[in-house]
Amino acid sequence: MTKIHLVNIDKPGQASLETYRAGGGYKALEKAMKMEQSAIVEEVKTSGLRGRGGAGFPTGMKWGFVPRDTGKPTYLLCNADESEPGTFKDRILMERDPHLLIEGMAIACYALNCHLSYIYIRGEYEFVANTVQKALDEAYADGILGPSVVGNDYGLDIFVHLGQGAYICGEETSLIESLEGYRGYPRIKPPFPATHGFLASPTVVNNVETLTALPWIINNGGAAHAALGTEKSKGTKLFSVSGHVNKPGVYEIVMGYPLLDFINNEAGGIPNGRKLKAVIPGGSSVPVLTAAECEGVGLDYESLLKAGSMLGSGGMIVLDDSCRMPEVLSVIADFYAHESCGQCTPCREGTGWAAKILRNLVAGKGRKADIDLLLKIADMMEGKTICPLADADVMPIRSFVTKFRSEFEALCEG
Amino acid sequence: MPKVTINGQELEVEAGKTVIQAALEAGIDVPHYCYHPDLPVDGNCRMCLVDVEKMPKLTPSCTTVVSEGMVVRTDNDRVKTAVRGVLEFLLINHPVDCPVCDQAGECRLQDYYMVYGLHTSEIPLSMKVRKRKVIDLGPMVVLDQERCVLCSRCIRFFDHVTKTGEMQFFGRGDHVAIGTFEDQPLENPYSGNVVDICPVGALTSRDFRFKCRVWFLHSTDSVCGGCSTGCSMRIDHRDGTIFRLLPRRNAEVNRSWLCDEGRISFHELMAGERVVRPLVKGRDGLQAPVTWDDAVRSINSALKDTADKHGPESILGFASPSATNEALYLFRQYLSGQFGASRFEFRSGSEDSKVTAQEDDVLRHVDKHPNTMGALNLGLASEELGGIGGAIAAARSGRIKAGVVMYFKPLVPRPGDEEAEARVAELVRSLEYSVVLAPHRADWLSDASVVLPVAAWSEEEGTYTNFQGRVQFAGKAINPGGDIQPVWEVFANLLYASGDNALWLSVDDVFGRLSETVPGYKGVLLAEAKTVGALPTP
Repeated sequence: MTKIHLVNIDKPGQASLETYRAGGGYKALEKAMKMEQSAIVEEVKTSGLRGRGGAGFPTGMKWGFVPRDTGKPTYLLCNADESEPGTFKDRILMERDPHLLIEGMAIACYALNCHLSYIYIRGEYEFVANTVQKALDEAYADGILGPSVVGNDYGLDIFVHLGQGAYICGEETSLIESLEGYRGYPRIKPPFPATHGFLASPTVVNNVETLTALPWIINNGGAAHAALGTEKSKGTKLFSVSGHVNKPGVYEIVMGYPLLDFINNEAGGIPNGRKLKAVIPGGSSVPVLTAAECEGVGLDYESLLKAGSMLGSGGMIVLDDSCRMPEVLSVIADFYAHESCGQCTPCREGTGWAAKILRNLVAGKGRKADIDLLLKIADMMEGKTICPLADADVMPIRSFVTKFRSEFEALCEG
Repeated sequence: MPKVTINGQELEVEAGKTVIQAALEAGIDVPHYCYHPDLPVDGNCRMCLVDVEKMPKLTPSCTTVVSEGMVVRTDNDRVKTAVRGVLEFLLINHPVDCPVCDQAGECRLQDYYMVYGLHTSEIPLSMKVRKRKVIDLGPMVVLDQERCVLCSRCIRFFDHVTKTGEMQFFGRGDHVAIGTFEDQPLENPYSGNVVDICPVGALTSRDFRFKCRVWFLHSTDSVCGGCSTGCSMRIDHRDGTIFRLLPRRNAEVNRSWLCDEGRISFHELMAGERVVRPLVKGRDGLQAPVTWDDAVRSINSALKDTADKHGPESILGFASPSATNEALYLFRQYLSGQFGASRFEFRSGSEDSKVTAQEDDVLRHVDKHPNTMGALNLGLASEELGGIGGAIAAARSGRIKAGVVMYFKPLVPRPGDEEAEARVAELVRSLEYSVVLAPHRADWLSDASVVLPVAAWSEEEGTYTNFQGRVQFAGKAINPGGDIQPVWEVFANLLYASGDNALWLSVDDVFGRLSETVPGYKGVLLAEAKTVGALPTP
């Protein structure tokens, strides 16, 4: 299977510039620097690359929204605040192949005419940040970054910024607020970051995995990327698999790969002869799929959407038949209650309330009415908040409660 | 101007305005907590969600700018369900301690619950998030974190109005609470405003707490008497006692704010003993209470004698920049019209030079009198005398024999007040014959030939002219009782008794004459003066 991100991930010493170079590293950047900036944007548009952070917005189109004539600088921010439960794909990229990210960022910066860029890394990834910083230091020392990017008349500085451990700062506008030194609160949109982002300037926020796809696209061409995958899901996708599989880890597959084949072949199947019960395919915020619903589903945006879930960040959580679904949901709800920033009412109050009801239910202290109350709270939260965090709580609540209602009811009977 | 339709009502709205502004201006109520006309928009409370045609989701009306052809509904079931949901969320962790909460009666949670809520609580008490209560935040404010709806109005006030940033959110999720760093007291001269803008009972006034239920209070529109800014305010009172002063929104002067000193200035009024009866000095040199008729008769005859004997230039009118325009106008009319007096002064300090000087860049001015501009417009500053010093010198040298003197103690004290009062006392002592109009007792009043008990600020209606030249009306909130009379009425009576044939029956009569004849008041309508005030036509 074609690989774009994980080609060299297992190579010893890949994090060092020497090894990275030996494997053909920074060739794409050198090539890109000889291209017109607009030609790179076009190439990315042709590639059909979509944002890998979770929302799946076409990257080339996002870049196209950035105005070039504001007189203000343009910023590229790399979103490495990977915090969604079940998601750990960016970590492996930064930990094992940081130069791939740096090369991708440099290509993106050049395409966007950006001279100052930040990597916003979640606070818990301090050790990862150290690896990235080491790679940045090497890149500076080698003249890859700094006043003349790989020998060209183009300056670029990239800095690492370590967050303080808030899931909300993975939302692009709160990432910007946090980077500016404020409380990590999402901003009201519009205006969008493309025009009023970091320091009120045009800003692009791209996920690590999105940026690490760029060297391959430059080397092989956008058309080669677009030839991979399905109609609306181009290229490859990293899936970080956890839960009840024999081989949890990060896997790269070409978009459209069948979900059940992936679990059974790549991830090594369900351990101890148990049966698949449910899959959360794209990180804890997407609707859960029952085993039956997984039949015939491909790992791509449109197929998962059709099945009633989402590709999300590719943080796949596999649940076997030993799982008690109310308990799983309670853990997920606790996460969102803990991570709600508290800025706007429905999310602040709703996530906390839902989490407490679930804790009560799991402890056997629930009432039958609580089950419908959970669905009511989901309705009260959905679509009424500044950012999608409340919706990220609504989707698991609604899917778990409706698809596994009997388990919730059973808890209320004792 | 874009045309928008809100609830089927077609409106023409100024470009750039938000939907909530358009709706509120058209009298369409949109429930809200975080939106405030004088603070930057934040969009956090989600109470003002409205349904805009062609928008997939409900949108906050405070962040949505009107556009041509926009069709908005604030009253359909979708909106009502959403608003009810948000309100329910706001109440789940609220302590519902209305019976002991000072905000009761003017609380947005109570009000909106009656309109949009009326639901039964679905959360057991044991599940509520508990936060800290009764946190002392300095001289003006007490914080109850449990009652807070986290609208951030207080935070935005300190961030954007005073630019001092004392308050912030702490914590995350449903444990977020407002506060100051390590409970440091709010020692900000405008801190009281956060109590007003708090839509619920989270921030209550240390001064007003537990004094009176708000539904027992009567309100009178007024203008602050604390300095030359002339902030629009409202006096809340009951049974002749002022309980609190609140800002009245005036975009031209104070927006929605008051300074803390102005806010508590009424305590200064209430402190100190009042002069309650007219006092006239007898042949024995001792003051004795008399009726107003006797006092008026004796003043008229004494001033006539002085004018006859020593000429009209021997009579001094020493006004106060704390008196109303109407009082000052009749004062001048009386002395110049009846006795030909031409020497007028009002400056016991250097009010005229301080009147436009700012004390800070929010509201306060250095001059602590509400009507210095009015006194200047009425020509009560004499070039010849150049202030009270010149008047004292003229009295000592005998060029001035008699004087009518007003003295009001400042509502907002400043160093130097005592010296200013001492100079007035010295002026009175230096005059052969003196009539002093004063609300409060003072030792030096015993030197006066006549002492007249007059109304203080809040007890007399009339207009004040602020530092901008804006004429603003202050209503009468308190009936001082006893023999105390408003200053304008004292001079109306003196004029009448001395044979003036104009009949001054009300402040409106006097104001009508002012706006017709005196440049500083030209074209000002009393109706305008009663709302946000008005500048004279040039």
